[in-house]
Amino acid sequence: MRQSLFAGRWRIRLPSSLDGAALRVTKTPPVTRKRKLDTASLSATSQPPPEPKRKASKTTHKDSIAQVEAALPATPQTLTSDKGMDSDDDFASVASSMELGEELSSSVDFGAEDSDVELEDYQDDDSAFETHAKQKPKRKAFEVEYKVYSPQDIQDQQDKQVAEVAALLEQPTEQTAILLRFGRWNKERLIEQYMDNQEEVLDKAGLGQNMSSNPPRIEAIDGFMCDICCEDTPGLQSYAMNCGHRFCVDCYRQYLAQKVREEGEAARIKCPGDGCNKIIDVKSLDLLVTSDLTDRYHELLMRTYVDDKESLKWCPAPNCVYAVECGVKKRELAKIVPTVQCECKHSFCFGCTQADHQPCPCSLVKRWMKKCEDDSETANWISANTKECPKCHSTIEKNGGCNHMTCRKCRNEFCWMCMGMWSEHGTSWYNCNRFEEKSGSEARTEQAKSRQSLERYLHYYNRFANHEQSAKLDKDIFHKTEKKMTLLQSSSGMSWIEVQFLEAASQALQQCRQTLKWTYAFAYYLARNSQTEMFEDNQKDLEMAVENLSEMFEKSTDQLAGLKVDMLDKTSYCMRRRVILLDDTAKKLKEDVWEFNVELA
Amino acid sequence: MNSVASKRLFQEYKHLTTDPPDGITAGPVNEDDLFVWEAMIQGPEGTPYEGGVFPAELKFPKDYPLMPPTMKFLGDIWHPNVYPNGVVCISILHPPGDDPNHYEQASERWSPIQSVEKILISVMSMIAEPNDESPANVDAARMWRERRQEFEKRVRADVRRSLGL
Repeated sequence: MRQSLFAGRWRIRLPSSLDGAALRVTKTPPVTRKRKLDTASLSATSQPPPEPKRKASKTTHKDSIAQVEAALPATPQTLTSDKGMDSDDDFASVASSMELGEELSSSVDFGAEDSDVELEDYQDDDSAFETHAKQKPKRKAFEVEYKVYSPQDIQDQQDKQVAEVAALLEQPTEQTAILLRFGRWNKERLIEQYMDNQEEVLDKAGLGQNMSSNPPRIEAIDGFMCDICCEDTPGLQSYAMNCGHRFCVDCYRQYLAQKVREEGEAARIKCPGDGCNKIIDVKSLDLLVTSDLTDRYHELLMRTYVDDKESLKWCPAPNCVYAVECGVKKRELAKIVPTVQCECKHSFCFGCTQADHQPCPCSLVKRWMKKCEDDSETANWISANTKECPKCHSTIEKNGGCNHMTCRKCRNEFCWMCMGMWSEHGTSWYNCNRFEEKSGSEARTEQAKSRQSLERYLHYYNRFANHEQSAKLDKDIFHKTEKKMTLLQSSSGMSWIEVQFLEAASQALQQCRQTLKWTYAFAYYLARNSQTEMFEDNQKDLEMAVENLSEMFEKSTDQLAGLKVDMLDKTSYCMRRRVILLDDTAKKLKEDVWEFNVELA
Repeated sequence: MNSVASKRLFQEYKHLTTDPPDGITAGPVNEDDLFVWEAMIQGPEGTPYEGGVFPAELKFPKDYPLMPPTMKFLGDIWHPNVYPNGVVCISILHPPGDDPNHYEQASERWSPIQSVEKILISVMSMIAEPNDESPANVDAARMWRERRQEFEKRVRADVRRSLGL
């Protein structure tokens, strides 16, 4: 009975929030909610009567389960259902979710007696969402399909391909492996070329004709002198591949060790003989070097395999051994930002292997980073310390005390204070105390105009840098979070699972700031139109959500327990805003809706 | 190790005296110390360096031939790839492994199968064709790129002065 009543109430509210009041509605709840929470935390901390305590622990416990479900998987799924609709509905879904959040908190505050029942209602609602979402398991516009491989998977993949081609070409596996590496693992093309001109391919790949017969071995040859060390002791052990360039075993080893260890080469190590193109194969290597080096050699071989394949990339995180496969091609990068997440949790862009930079396309990221490297400090300094000559716009730094400036370039004489012509200052120098001299004000407007582009850049740069900095600070807090979580467990009697909301919040903050940071680089290159305004609205909403959550995070431990519901709520809201922003941006990028003020290379 | 280096340097010296390449002579300054050589390189024909003779000093490390020698011109030579102090900057003289300049291929750098003869031949062709992408002497490189005539004039004057004309 109650269940259906509640569900009904929620559904009725949804359409009502569709009208213009929706936004205003979203603005008021935080205040009331905060007040409610304040009273709640007051009652929980200052005077601990048995009843509220029981209430708090009970509700939070139940709630944490409901909320973990609501905050994490249900969030994107809810939005999946909005996918086909336009942005008005997006607003509606947000507004409704806000109300959902409000009701959650209100249920905690006031629904003391029957909170259990109501919370169960939420769980039911969630499962309703899930079933609804299952019907539409569509990917978001900003997500790409990818697969993560372990080193073993990659090895297996290689072995399989080598075996396949070896059977086809009737060559031993070592040679086939060299051939495939030579052909950059493009099987079809290699087989075709091989069939066309076997000798040429073998020659180019550094394989002689008579590889299979008469395998090379280490031997002592009479009258041999090593060309490297000039050693000619009788019985000196030496080695040569089929090309006949013979060196003593020590020098050969030295050479291979140098290549493998220092230069990180493996697949294309050539015979040490001058001008010889013959590639050293696995068998020769195994014969010559020690086991620690062979391990490294095989590791490097694997690396070249991944490097050679366009659809495979190593995870750039330090010490990560996984590789990611993704079908997004280089030429598609103007239309899509392929962010992938490795097994090790590192999120990066498959296109350029930089850390996740959604929603900004790779080419803009590159441009932006270069600009920041070159310009930001210089621009800051120019903006703070210089003015421009009102006539020729040369940038001028004042290095003496006198305000009578003469431009070195165009010999224009002007006053540093008012930028007006010096001639108007007459003979007595302090005439510029009079406000609004005509030429001066004109010069100043002119100056303002030319400074505008600089200021524009700095506007975006400062915000970009700020989010980067804040993300770092949030990360510091995150490192302290674990301590906080244990503290919270002991001080409020919450269990481990109940304090996980802090970690979730911290991770959400990191992720959202990462996104926000790049929205500023993106916006810098956007041409102004109505789409831009929508983008900025989305950006603003996400930024506000992030700031609210970030502020909460800095509260002391004893306050945190009381803020739990609100924090969970804000965490999920942040994530939702992020998804909305990314989804919208990615869709428009795909459909070529954005207008940029630079070429997307 | 020391004996390997001496042995090899002695072999190379022998080879260079019996079959010297055109325009190059080289050998140890003192027969007791094989690790310091002096070389004379003639200015390549058809270049402003033509007619000049450029003395240089080669110093070999104890672990030669694993590591390359260093080379330094003893007189003045105005060239984009020679530091003002005379040290030669050429890829064949750079040790194998990590590339500090990030543009040279491993195959262009030193390896034990290179030799003094190859170094000197490379330096000779470097004199004829400067590489202005990684100048050791930035002023010379700019002059070579932007004011070729002035560059050539200066080089010719240097050559003449060095010959005492």
